[in-house]
Amino acid sequence: MTPFLLTTLAFFAAYGIYLAALVAHQAPSPLAFLDGGGNLPGWAVIFAGSGLAVAGQGLGDHLALTARFGLQASHLGLGLVLAALTTVLIQKRLWLAARITGLATPADLLARYYQSVALRIVMLTLSALFALPFAANLLSQAGGVVEQATGGTIGHAAAVWVMGFFLFLTAVIGGWRATVLVGAVQAALIAALGLGSIVFAQTMMGGGGFPQVPLPVAQGVLADLIPGVVQYSAGLGKSQPAGGIFTAVGIASTALAMLGVVLSPAFLYLGITARAGRTLGFGAVWIIAGLGGAALVIGGPILAVRMGAGLGDFASAMAQVEPFAGLGLILLVLTANQLVVALSVNAGTLLITQELILPYVVPGLQPLHQRLAAQIGLALAYGLVAVLATFAPLSSAILAGLALPMAVQLLPALLGLCFIRWISRSAIITGLIFGVLFVAFTEAFGLILVEGLFIDLPWGRWPLTVHSAAWGLGVNVAAVLLVAIFTHGGAERLHRDRLHDEFAALWPVDFGGKGAQGAKWSLTLIWAFFALGPGAILGNTFFSQPIFTQGPAALGLPSLWVWQILFWLIGVPLVWWLSNRAQLGVTTDQGLRRLDLGGAADPVHPPDWIAVGLARVTGR
Amino acid sequence: MTQTPSYALDRHVLVSAVWLPGGFVALGLLHHGFATGAAGWVLAGFGAILACFALHVIVNAALGAHFTPQEVALSFVLYAVAGLALVLAVLLQPGFAEQFFLPVALGMAGLAAGVIFYLVTRWGARGAFAQFDIIRDNNPRKSSELPHRGGRS
Repeated sequence: MTPFLLTTLAFFAAYGIYLAALVAHQAPSPLAFLDGGGNLPGWAVIFAGSGLAVAGQGLGDHLALTARFGLQASHLGLGLVLAALTTVLIQKRLWLAARITGLATPADLLARYYQSVALRIVMLTLSALFALPFAANLLSQAGGVVEQATGGTIGHAAAVWVMGFFLFLTAVIGGWRATVLVGAVQAALIAALGLGSIVFAQTMMGGGGFPQVPLPVAQGVLADLIPGVVQYSAGLGKSQPAGGIFTAVGIASTALAMLGVVLSPAFLYLGITARAGRTLGFGAVWIIAGLGGAALVIGGPILAVRMGAGLGDFASAMAQVEPFAGLGLILLVLTANQLVVALSVNAGTLLITQELILPYVVPGLQPLHQRLAAQIGLALAYGLVAVLATFAPLSSAILAGLALPMAVQLLPALLGLCFIRWISRSAIITGLIFGVLFVAFTEAFGLILVEGLFIDLPWGRWPLTVHSAAWGLGVNVAAVLLVAIFTHGGAERLHRDRLHDEFAALWPVDFGGKGAQGAKWSLTLIWAFFALGPGAILGNTFFSQPIFTQGPAALGLPSLWVWQILFWLIGVPLVWWLSNRAQLGVTTDQGLRRLDLGGAADPVHPPDWIAVGLARVTGR
Repeated sequence: MTQTPSYALDRHVLVSAVWLPGGFVALGLLHHGFATGAAGWVLAGFGAILACFALHVIVNAALGAHFTPQEVALSFVLYAVAGLALVLAVLLQPGFAEQFFLPVALGMAGLAAGVIFYLVTRWGARGAFAQFDIIRDNNPRKSSELPHRGGRS
């Protein structure tokens, strides 16, 4: 399969460079390199955004988890419905805020809305976290897949550097627009290969598949049951929860962590740079919740049951039946990883360039030189990513584990910007401090740091089977509410009100009458409770041992799988309802009025400490 | 819709997003069909190509565009190469005709029928013929431009 795989990879790499060259040739101005002209075609944003939302969860990891923990892990596929809901809720208002204020990046929006430098630094740190260790971890995984698929002919390091180089070439030639257009094609490829692999595995591989054959879970793990609502476990590394780690609360909290992808700087930037239209809702409803949810909930177990010793073995088995199928499975994982790497690195670099380099480090550059600065940034970023992926894959994996839960900590800040005007800067900063600390100390990074330097902690990773994202977000929200009680007024509030008054005057959210409004929120909460919350435990036996009957029902399918499919089927129309009826998925640039949030076009001077530091290095 | 260079590029990428995955799936199906001698898979491969063509037509309709001359030329070349390959295989490959002639010929006929169906629904019977009516282009007369005679302006 090696020549076949390498030829295909080379073809797709060449195609990416060809598209990037076309984009560069037609770019209206050098500055379009940074933001694609803020006018990206809707269909491309649908494809690339949905691809990022699904592939960002780690397709290879999801399959491996499902193979190890069974249906309790594949239940996480329903988290994509929650991710779609969050996308619909946040992205329209964020897009409008960017257009109304003329601010080009999510960091700029948050920093100027809350009048906070700290928030800008948080966003930049988050951009770097996604652009470097998160991307390096995925690139390293992709390198491992290539090494395994070629039987060691192409080594891990060579695969990492070659893939990194071609991703860099596409980015450095075509900028953000090329990244998104190539990402859109890759997302279409992921969809076709994913569906093709699922159908092929189920129909052509022989030997019986899921659900006739149970998932080959580890010993002591419940293959088709959720192991309780919560377990009083000290956390991974300290104690092993009986029956598996994905309790109902574990599933809910891990689903919260999945929101990290749609709250990541790359995804937010993608939404901001999109053209107006109905694309936001379409992508969220039908691709993220619909297609992505179905692929993980229904297709996940079908693929995972045949994983055996790993993805490479499964691909080899498929290739023996049909070489294109084995190649397709390898391509699926590689393309998914490359899509996320490209979008994360490019968005992170372009955001840091626009937020830090151009205004503070080298202000006053001409457009051509601004593009050059971004291109140098991309070269540095891809170099660092390749170095991390090659020489520090473990450190990258540990740091990458922080990226999604850290991004989730932005949720209160984004909800404040989009809907809740009484959330103040102090509340957000306090919440973020506590949230980030709780995430760090319930993740491998903080535990290794403290236990390596000081003392053994009594808890491990994800104590009580609650994901670090939920630990952080719980404390974060509590702190935000508490501090907001005391700080919701004042002059700062007047500044925030200006944007919300504009929203209310021209872009009110139409949740319908009182009844419709209540129905929308209550149905969403009920869905979340039964699909992802503690109510999901009912799915263990709801269809196999129905209430009001004497004996078990001969369903032929695991009750939990039916429960998951049912709530996926209910979840998609729910997202559609919010997206279309409440017009949350539709954007328009008709009637936009410009609002100055204070200083977007002001002359910007580098802070003294940056200027002094730079002067020491450059001798200016 | 305005055919700006950027718009044309966006459409080109969207069309690629249809044909690259679809083409990969079609190649896989055709390969499996020829490797295992199963006519159904060969037909499924042609079905995948037909589905891609239908999606391409939908993209054109959604974006208010038509097939570009390059796309038309490429499709004709590929179709001619496939036809030639079929003839050569029938003549030179022992047993090919018995096993594969029917599904491949049916698949190619299906593709041709799909294109004709598109042309007729898009341009009407006379308009579809007019797309290929080179002779009339060589002898332009005023009356041939009249709408009821399928005139082209």
